[in-house]
Amino acid sequence: MEKDARPSWDSPVEFLLACVSYAIGLGNVWRFPYLCQMHGGGGFLIPYLIMLFLEGLPLFCLELAIGQKMRLGSIGAWTAINPYLGGVGLASVMTSLYLCLYYNIINAWSFWYLFNSFQSVLPWAECPINSNRTGPIEECELATPTQYFFYRETLDISSSIEENGGVQTGQALCLLLAWVISYLFVVRGVKSTGKVVYFTATFPYVVLLIYLIWGFTLHGAINGVKYMFTPKMEQLANPTTWVNAATQIFFSLGLGFGSLIAFSSYNQYNNNFERQAVAVSIINSGTSIFASIVTFSIYGFKATINYESCLERTRILLLNTFDLAEDKITMDTVFEWIERLNATYPQQFAEISSKLETCDLEKELDTAVEGPGLAFIVYSEAIKDMPLPQLWSVLYFSMLLLLGMGSMLGNITAIITPLRDFKFLSSMSIELLNGIVCLFCLLLGLGFTTTSGSYWFTMFNDYGATFSLLFVVLVEVITVSYIYGSKRFEKDVEDMLGHRPNWYWRIMWKFISPLLLITVFVFYIVNYIRGGTPTYQAWNKELGQSVVTEYPVFGQVFIGLLLVSSISCIPLTALYVYCTRTKRGNRRRQLTVSTVSAEGLAP
Amino acid sequence: MLEKSLFLLCFSSALAKQLCAPDASDGYKVRLSIRTALGDQAYAWNEDELFLFRATLAFAMRNRISGQQFEVSNIIVCDETPRVSFWFVVTSPSNTSHLVDKEEVEEAIRKSRNRINSAFLLTDKTLEFLGIPPTLAAPVSPDTPPWLIVFGVVMGAVGAGIVVMLAFSVVQKKRKKDGKVVDEAVEEETRAKTTDNGAAGDGVYNMSFSDDERFTEM
Repeated sequence: MEKDARPSWDSPVEFLLACVSYAIGLGNVWRFPYLCQMHGGGGFLIPYLIMLFLEGLPLFCLELAIGQKMRLGSIGAWTAINPYLGGVGLASVMTSLYLCLYYNIINAWSFWYLFNSFQSVLPWAECPINSNRTGPIEECELATPTQYFFYRETLDISSSIEENGGVQTGQALCLLLAWVISYLFVVRGVKSTGKVVYFTATFPYVVLLIYLIWGFTLHGAINGVKYMFTPKMEQLANPTTWVNAATQIFFSLGLGFGSLIAFSSYNQYNNNFERQAVAVSIINSGTSIFASIVTFSIYGFKATINYESCLERTRILLLNTFDLAEDKITMDTVFEWIERLNATYPQQFAEISSKLETCDLEKELDTAVEGPGLAFIVYSEAIKDMPLPQLWSVLYFSMLLLLGMGSMLGNITAIITPLRDFKFLSSMSIELLNGIVCLFCLLLGLGFTTTSGSYWFTMFNDYGATFSLLFVVLVEVITVSYIYGSKRFEKDVEDMLGHRPNWYWRIMWKFISPLLLITVFVFYIVNYIRGGTPTYQAWNKELGQSVVTEYPVFGQVFIGLLLVSSISCIPLTALYVYCTRTKRGNRRRQLTVSTVSAEGLAP
Repeated sequence: MLEKSLFLLCFSSALAKQLCAPDASDGYKVRLSIRTALGDQAYAWNEDELFLFRATLAFAMRNRISGQQFEVSNIIVCDETPRVSFWFVVTSPSNTSHLVDKEEVEEAIRKSRNRINSAFLLTDKTLEFLGIPPTLAAPVSPDTPPWLIVFGVVMGAVGAGIVVMLAFSVVQKKRKKDGKVVDEAVEEETRAKTTDNGAAGDGVYNMSFSDDERFTEM
C-alpha cells in the first residue's frame, strides 16, 4: 500500500500553464526587445526561430522527458540516470538557489513601484524640490526624474560596490512581501502551485493585449514599430547575432535549472509531454514577439515625446534669444529657422550654440536599453506622459509582478522537489520545508536591499546563472545521448508516449543540439577572456548618470566563486561517488570472504 | 508757458528713457508667453495690457512698502519686443529721478507674485521675471507615505491568507487521522470476514491462485 503517493497535477492543463508561467518571465519583456533592436529589428526573428527549432525545442522536450520518466527532482533523476552524474542535479539546485536569492528583488522593486502608483502625481513624474525651494534637487536635474526616483528614492544607491550602507526599509518590506506571497503560492506543493498558475499564466496576456491596443493609439507609437520591423539584413552576417539568438532561446525557456524536471516529475506517467513541449516553446517565442511589439510601440511613443519636447525647448530658446513673436516659429519650422538665424545673426547664434541641443528622432529610437533599466526607468518614463498614468502604471507593474512570480514558482519548486526526495527530509511536513527554504532565501536576499545591493544584484544576474547553465545543459544532453544511451532513452520515451520519437528529435538530441551548445559555450569563454576585467555600471551622483567601473578584486573573486561553486558540483560529486563505491566495493569483498570462510567452517 | 511745459514733458520722458534701459542695474526683464499659456484664447498684447501691468506692479510696490503711494507713472517700461518682453524700472514716488533698489522691487514682486500672475491669467512659468526665481510650492508630505498604506493592506490580506491556509491544512490532517482510525477498523473487519469465508472480496488478493502454472504443469 502506497503511503506517500507522489503528489500530482490535478490536470495536464495545470502542468502546461505552470510551464508557460515559468518560461514566460521578465526576460521576454526586457531582453528580447533589446536583442531585436541590436540585431536588425525584424531580421533577428530568422536566427531566433531557427535556434528555437534546433536547440530550444529539443532540449525542452528532453528535460520534460527525464522528469516524467524518473519521477524525481533533478538530483534524484540524474543519480538514477547515472550515479556518477548526480552532480548535474546538484549544480542545477545551486544555480536555482542563486536565482531565488536575487530574482525576488525584482519582484520587490515591482511591488515598490506598484504601491507608489497610488498617488495623484506619480513620484517619478517630477523632481522633488530642494530645501531652499528655489528649484529641483541637483542630482535630479542632471539626470531625469525617473532615473532619480529609481536610483535615489528606490535604491538609495551608493557610488560603487565597495561602499556599503544599511538596509533600505522600503526595499526590505517589499522583499518580505514578495517572499510571503511566494510562500503562499508554493506552500502546498503542486496542489497550491497548480491553482495559482491559472492566474499567473493568463493575466499577463490580458495586460499585454490592453497595452497593445492602447499602445497603438499613442502618439508616435508607429515610429517605434516601423523601426523595429525594418529588418537590417546585414546583421545576419554577424556571428554575435546567432550566438545571442541561441542564448536567448536557451535562457528564455529556463533550461538547466531543474524546474522543468521538477514540474514534469509530478506528471502522470503517460502524459503527452511532447505535444506540451512544442506548445510551450511556441507560446514562449510568440509571447516574446508580442511583448516586443508592445515595447516598441511604447519606445516609439517615448522617443516621439522626447523629440518633440527637445524641439519645443529649442523653439523657446530661439524665441527668447532673438525676441521673436511667439507664433513666428512653430515646431515644424524650427530647423529652417535655425539655419536662417545662424546666417543672419552669427555672433548671437554662436553664444547660444552651447545650449542648443540636436533633436534627432532616430537617435531617440536608437537608445537601446535592456534589463531592469528598461522595465523600471524607460517604461515608467513613458507611462508618466500618458493620460491617466496611475491606471497604466498599476496595470504594468502588476503584469511585471505576475511574470516574476510565475518564474519564482518554478525556481522554488526546483529547489524543494529534489530536497523532498531525500529520505530524511520527506518526513518533514511540506509546509515546514517550504517555510524554511523561503525564510533562508529571504534572510540572504536582504543583502540585496542595502545601498550597494543593486550592484551585487547585477553581478548575480550577469554571472550567477549564465555560464554554469550552459555547462549543465551541455553535460545533460551529452549524458542522455551518449552515456545513458540514445536507444535506451528512446525506448523510455516510447514507454511513456506509446510511439518512438521521430527522426527530428533523434537527430537534434544526438547531434545538432550538443554541437550548437558546444559552439555557444566556446564563444562565451572566448568573449569572457577577451572582455578583460569584468565591469559594471555605477551610478555617479555628481554627474547624474551611470559610469562604467571595474569590479574590485573581491568582486572578481566572488564572480569566480559563483561560477566555480555550481560547475564544480559535477566533477566533485562524480569523485565522491567513485570513492564511496570503491570503499563499498572493498567492504563487500571483505564481507563475502568472511561469510565464505564462516560457511566453510560450519559443519 | 506752453514751451516750458512741452520742454518739461520732453525732458521727463527723456529722463525716464535714460532711467530705463536694457541691462539697467535696478531694472528687471519681463517675458510673457501668452500664446503658450492660453493657446486659442490668447489675448493680444497692446498698450492697455501694458497699462494693466504697470498698475499691477504699482500695486505690488504699494503692498510691499506701506505709506508710499506708487502710481502707474512710477513704473517705467522700455525695450519692448515682439516676443512680448520688456525691461522696467521703478521710480520712487517722492523723487521721480531716483530708482527704487533692486532688492526692494524683488521682494515686492515675490510677495505679490500670485496676484500679478492671476491678473494676466498666467503662471510662474509663462510670466517670467528674469532674475527672480519663483518660490516653488512646498511639497505636500503626508504623515504616512501612501505606499506604506497600500503595503499594509496587501500584507494584511496575504498574512490572513497564510493563516487560513495553515489552519485549513491542520484541520484536514486531523480529519484524516480520525478517518484513518475508522478506516483501519473497517479494514480489520473485512480481512477477518474474508479469512472466514474463503470467497475473495474485492480488495484482498488471494495467494492460492497466483501460481497456477506450477500446479497444472504437474
